[in-house]
Amino acid sequence: MSDDTLFAEVLDGANRANPYPIYERLRRRPVSRQRDGAYVVSTHAAIRSLLFDPRLSSEDLPPSRRPRTGNPFKDWIINPLKNRVATAHRPLIFRDPPDHDTLRGFVMKEFTIARVNNLHGRVEALVDTLIERCRGRDEVCLVEDLSYPLPVAVICELLGVPEADEPQFHAWATQLATALEPDARRDEEARRATVTTFDAIAAYMRRLIRDKRRHPADDMLSGLARRGDRGEPAMGDVDLISTAVLLLVAGHETTVNLITNGMLTLLRHPQELARLKADPERAPRLIEELLRYEPPVHFRTRKALGAIEIGGTTIPPGAPVVLLFASGNRDPERFSDPDRFDPSRDDIQHFGFGGGLHYCVGAPLARIEAEIALVTLCRRLVEPRLMADPPSYRAGASLRGPSNLGIHIAGIV
Amino acid sequence: MRVVVDLNRCQGYAQCCYAAPESFALRGHEILFYDPAPPDEARARIERARLACPVRAIFVEAADLHAADVQESDPSKVDLPKVDRP
Ligand code: HEM
Ligand code: SF4
Repeated sequence: MSDDTLFAEVLDGANRANPYPIYERLRRRPVSRQRDGAYVVSTHAAIRSLLFDPRLSSEDLPPSRRPRTGNPFKDWIINPLKNRVATAHRPLIFRDPPDHDTLRGFVMKEFTIARVNNLHGRVEALVDTLIERCRGRDEVCLVEDLSYPLPVAVICELLGVPEADEPQFHAWATQLATALEPDARRDEEARRATVTTFDAIAAYMRRLIRDKRRHPADDMLSGLARRGDRGEPAMGDVDLISTAVLLLVAGHETTVNLITNGMLTLLRHPQELARLKADPERAPRLIEELLRYEPPVHFRTRKALGAIEIGGTTIPPGAPVVLLFASGNRDPERFSDPDRFDPSRDDIQHFGFGGGLHYCVGAPLARIEAEIALVTLCRRLVEPRLMADPPSYRAGASLRGPSNLGIHIAGIV
Repeated sequence: MRVVVDLNRCQGYAQCCYAAPESFALRGHEILFYDPAPPDEARARIERARLACPVRAIFVEAADLHAADVQESDPSKVDLPKVDRP
């Protein structure tokens, strides 16, 4: 097999359950050029140095690179207009400094320690309620029963979305998450579905933000919206909407995957499950190891702004650069026995939350959710056993995780 | 117990501040303040902070750790020299 098609293999759904052997082949070179002109970065050292390299840009692809529909009216009039709207809505994850830093600063001011840590009790209550609903059954569908409903409820709480609107948010989040996959951007139909969803959610957010201005509460959206009213520097309404949507999308499917991957990994390593059950204080290190071993986000794509010489390769200006986080996490040059799941290891500097200036904003919240979910599952599920291994996976190669995780149980305590 | 943060390594990610807010705080622009001698009750939160730090800049006095962790925190296993800087 030729090396310049290895990334196509990563994208191929047939390899979703176990992409790690392909990553191993990719790591023979720190940076490998693919036939389509993309450069895949697969070693820990190379990813790390590029995460801090100002010559890499996170800006989204320009509209001119977007696909054509074949319908001239759409191609020349409707879609460029929509693109104009879409490019106005560029969340901070797709921005470079200085705009990125300004927007991120506003978010961090509202992503306060108290606000995040106060969600603790709410997460515990949600997890218990969701598990309680499985009482009387002899199997749990982890994704549907717990991993999926939890994060969206938590984000809604954080932002200040009324509980009644949560089901609607759930549907939107699912649709938008697919938009982050490389294949979806090429597929015109998927892109259109994304634009429609985005329009719906943007309209909803616009109304919600107006409400928050009139009746502010102690939530992130009220905080972000009212900053300007108090005469402090603040983001404009368009950025406010994009930020709210970003928090929903970035915090949803990722957390779903962390919980599901976590339970899958524990069921594959029953000894670790038993140890966690006996000593819940092991959870923090177990979760860090999980973020290394089965991260929810496998890669992110950037663009080279100038020529970058790295690992014996020169990346030309304009080339897409794939930072393959999940491969760096398994680099034997960096971690001893990297394919072993070992929560006892102390040296776990992973790329689970990325790194550098785009390091995950929601990491502290994700850690809280995953810890409470996994510890409670271990405590309350009696004799859990996997129904199928490997489970079925969702389509995404970057946001990678099981679509369903059936677990046999002997009861709930 | 005693805590040391390698402030040359610290990149101001603030993960420690969420994990143990009474012992770590970022003030102004990315200057980390921390309690070098936190009380014993803070042990679990300090350990969380240490684990959450993306650059592993937090060091906790070994004598204060669980027996199992002392072995794991063996400095020869923490690869200080390998951390490459931008
Ligand atoms: C297990 C759960 C999560 C994982 C694995 C995860 C992972 C990541 C990763 C890898 C990035 C870096 C993207 C890049 O470098 O291009 C990122 C960025 C981001 N994440 Fe998370 N995330 C999680 C949960 C959350 C949550 C709960 C929130 C919000 C409440 C959130 C909000 C964000 C935001 C806003 C960014 C963009 C930051 C920036 O561009 O400066 N994430 N996340
Ligand atoms: S988590 Fe680490 S890098 Fe971040 S502020 Fe704390 S010590 Fe510094």
